[in-house]
Amino acid sequence: MKSLYFILGVVLFLSGCSEHLVRVMPYEKEYFAQDKMSLSPIGERAEQEGHIFLIREASAGGDSSFQGGCGCR
Amino acid sequence: MSLMKVLLSLMAIALLPLSSFASNLKDSASVGFNSYSDTGDVQVYSPTLSLFKKVSTHWMVGFKMRIDAITAASITNGANGGQVDVVTGASKSEDDLFDDVRYAPTAMVTYDDGDNTFTMGGYYSSEVDYEGKAIFGNYVRQLNEQNTALGIGVSQSFDIWKPVFDRALPKDNRNETKLDLSINQLITPKFSLQAVYSYMYSEGFLSSPYHYVPQNDIAKFENYPDKRTGQAVAFKGVYLLNRDNAMNFSYRYYTDDWDISSHTVNVEELHDFSRNFTSGLRLRYYTQTKSNFVKDVGTYTLNDKYFAVDYRMSAFDSYTIGIPIIHKMKDGDKVTASIDYYQTTDNDYIKQWYGVDNLQAIFTTLTYEFDY
Repeated sequence: MKSLYFILGVVLFLSGCSEHLVRVMPYEKEYFAQDKMSLSPIGERAEQEGHIFLIREASAGGDSSFQGGCGCR
Repeated sequence: MSLMKVLLSLMAIALLPLSSFASNLKDSASVGFNSYSDTGDVQVYSPTLSLFKKVSTHWMVGFKMRIDAITAASITNGANGGQVDVVTGASKSEDDLFDDVRYAPTAMVTYDDGDNTFTMGGYYSSEVDYEGKAIFGNYVRQLNEQNTALGIGVSQSFDIWKPVFDRALPKDNRNETKLDLSINQLITPKFSLQAVYSYMYSEGFLSSPYHYVPQNDIAKFENYPDKRTGQAVAFKGVYLLNRDNAMNFSYRYYTDDWDISSHTVNVEELHDFSRNFTSGLRLRYYTQTKSNFVKDVGTYTLNDKYFAVDYRMSAFDSYTIGIPIIHKMKDGDKVTASIDYYQTTDNDYIKQWYGVDNLQAIFTTLTYEFDY
């Protein structure tokens, strides 16, 4: 139950309890529309290397994306 | 069960205020070709296709297809790939261009109203010796005038091993559960941060059915524990250095109950050479510790409970350096490409299995993306 309360608390806090989290106005977001300002500037590379690193290394996760299973793992 | 309660409660709360803002959905498609080649004699050639179609203001369906044409797949005999595998009896047919061809379609449906994005879908993968099936769902909630984005993703796979030779596995399934929680926050007009937490649980036959202990006094296949729980936390950011340059960086820490832990650092600098052409340089460093059941090469005994000869169960580092390319065309279409060089540090198990001191690989992507 502690995890549930923690997550609920985070959601409520981020849902509107903090005006400080509105740090960028809509008219200031032009830079984030640029390709180079993306967390994954090349989506296909992110998908492919996510699969390769999953096969060639023993770690996983931290990428918030789905990677299907295959026999090479 | 408690984890499921948390997930359901969180999703119920987040879905309550579904609004009717304009969606960001659009009809789009891409075709691509990826490749992978390494000094372990593995080559993979992968045509890809994706198609996304809006079916209403807020709903979109999508389909992705990936085909992996593989040579020197797992059925070959390590460093002796040209010979018939003395343990498995498997060998490549002279008539086959590839050792294996993997077909991996993914279908998905997305709801998006501008503040809420929900995606769910199914994945299928078919190889000669492995069948993968999975379902996944992902929900992202925009908050604070879209300065903050909360995300939750869940996936569950139901995979089946089908060894190409007659071997009765202790279990033939491999099921994996994955939960991702993420938060994105815009910090300034030039700086955004993301934090991701992942929980992963695997159970079933988790080693390869083909790897065996190459010691004269032991005739044993690999044998790992049949359960594994891992967690990862990652921090990512992108910062606009000046009008033409941006820096992308990430750090991930991973740990699991096999005592493997790792650190991954990735840095990428992208430069706008013109309005339509962007390129740069990426560097990645990875280091991991060994599992708690792997032993040094040649030191296994018949009394050991677990056997591991896969280098991924041992300690090693790896380095990646690559070049990304993004070219925007006048009509809005986009061509992206990348080439990366990957190398591990020297490793005894790599030398034993692949016959080289370390693994070196080159992987590439080439994709044409367009709206229609």
